[in-house]
Amino acid sequence: MIGVFTGFLLRAIVVLIGAALATFALLWHAPGDPALAIAEARYGQNVSKEVLDFIRSEAGFDDGFWTAFWAWLSPLMLGDFGQSSVNGREVWPDVVTAMSYTFPLALVSLALGLAVSVPLALIATRKPGSWLDRGAVALASVGVAIPAFWLGLLLILLFAVQLGWLPAMGAETSAHSILPAMTLGFGVAASLTRIIRSGILEARGQPFLPAFTRRGVARRDIARDHVAPHAVVPVVTVLGLELAFLLEGLVVVEVIFARPGLGSFLVNAIFARDFPKVQAVVILAAVIFVVVNLAIDLIYRSLDPRVSGRDA
Amino acid sequence: MRSLYVLVTVCLLLAIFGPMLASHDPTAINIPNRLRPPGGEWLLGTDALGRDIFSRLLHGARWSLGLAFVVSLLGLIIGTTVGLIAAQGGRVADWIAMRTTDTFLAFPELIAAVVIAGILGANTGSLIFALTVTGWMRYARIARGIGLSVGNRGYVVQARLAGLSPLAIARWHYLPSLLPSLTVVWTGMLARAILGISTLGFLGFGVQPPMPEWGTMLLDARVHMRSAPLQMIWPGLCVVISVLAINLAGDALRDALAEQDAKT
Repeated sequence: MIGVFTGFLLRAIVVLIGAALATFALLWHAPGDPALAIAEARYGQNVSKEVLDFIRSEAGFDDGFWTAFWAWLSPLMLGDFGQSSVNGREVWPDVVTAMSYTFPLALVSLALGLAVSVPLALIATRKPGSWLDRGAVALASVGVAIPAFWLGLLLILLFAVQLGWLPAMGAETSAHSILPAMTLGFGVAASLTRIIRSGILEARGQPFLPAFTRRGVARRDIARDHVAPHAVVPVVTVLGLELAFLLEGLVVVEVIFARPGLGSFLVNAIFARDFPKVQAVVILAAVIFVVVNLAIDLIYRSLDPRVSGRDA
Repeated sequence: MRSLYVLVTVCLLLAIFGPMLASHDPTAINIPNRLRPPGGEWLLGTDALGRDIFSRLLHGARWSLGLAFVVSLLGLIIGTTVGLIAAQGGRVADWIAMRTTDTFLAFPELIAAVVIAGILGANTGSLIFALTVTGWMRYARIARGIGLSVGNRGYVVQARLAGLSPLAIARWHYLPSLLPSLTVVWTGMLARAILGISTLGFLGFGVQPPMPEWGTMLLDARVHMRSAPLQMIWPGLCVVISVLAINLAGDALRDALAEQDAKT
């Protein structure tokens, strides 16, 4: 197990360095003169050549790709995300503020999604093929096809514009989080319902289950001790995809509901061509994503004895 | 099942021939008739610039569905190539190809696409690039997995010993066993591409106005949410119906293949 773990960790490090390189290369090759963009953001139009040269040497654009990459990466590894190229402020404190809006929303949405999908899947699989089951499947299929931004807009239209029950824009009170959490939670619930349902149905098809029934083991005990552990495995394997889905939804939802979280932070930074901020968010997303996927892999291995000893 | 084929065919036909059914020029501005309610000359009404919404939706199918088709096909080609190189090329090639795949998988796809399209500048070329670069990895993993298992079968080993080139082995021995699984993955990626294109369009990083892509149309409609709420319904409904149809077709295909597998 320890060998597997170090293997995974090494791989995660290689992947993260690759991710940093890819991010930096993209911004390095961005069209337009980045120095000009910075200068215009700071001092307005009509910037002199001296100012441009100063910004170039300050940001290390003169020294070539690898020098600039290392100049960015080495402080980054110590947790220094640098300063905004537009207003010169430290990036990290702003990122922390943005995260304080994003993470609670993500957790609430995930909890909401689980609270809906698990009971729904359990009820649906009680009688596969019944109208309840078909209804759950239909709802889930439509749910995964609805883009988060459209659902968000529809909820705003109904609850904020037509009924006037809930606030739509901003994040001042916890009431402001209800519509965003509903938007994200619905998407999570829809995809999880599908997965949990098929997980349970597949687990029920295991050939050793009739043996337990015939030996007189109670249905509840079979469900708890033999169906549930099998049904959990496929759910765990897709949790990574679910996380990606959630992060992607967060970006869109924060923009729609004008929440000052990481997603809005990223989109605003792209529009302002504030590259240090863009890099910070992208790297942070990659780190979260890789670490969580690593954790999921390890959980999967500890849950499924058939793969636990094997190397990836 | 039959109704599903009908739905998918209708989507395809609309994307190809839809623009011919349009009653108006989708970009023709007609200010005196702006924000008209549905009915009469304008089947679904007009938008804030007086453009016919029905015609824009029909033309939008070509953007939203057509671009998704291109993007998912490019991803299929790149991913399959990478996967087969990993499966056939020996340990070093395998390691490089798979760590590259992992690196691209280190970002949530859509967020990476937003960043790439946003940084490269909002136009259709960078949209295609952004979604292709972030959309080939699943094909690569599937292609490698199946490739490795096929590579050990007797007939492939024999073909290799007989001196058949790796390209010919890939074409005649790997591809036939890959195609069913890849098609299933492809339907999923096609649906994702439609969602991605409309999301990027909505965020302002995708197809640019005045082109009538569905997500871009929603971005326009959002401003007039209070005065013309219906405008926001149609483009979103188009996205949902096409994604749903493709997803269901993919599910049906997967089930049919599983049944076939079970028989043999």
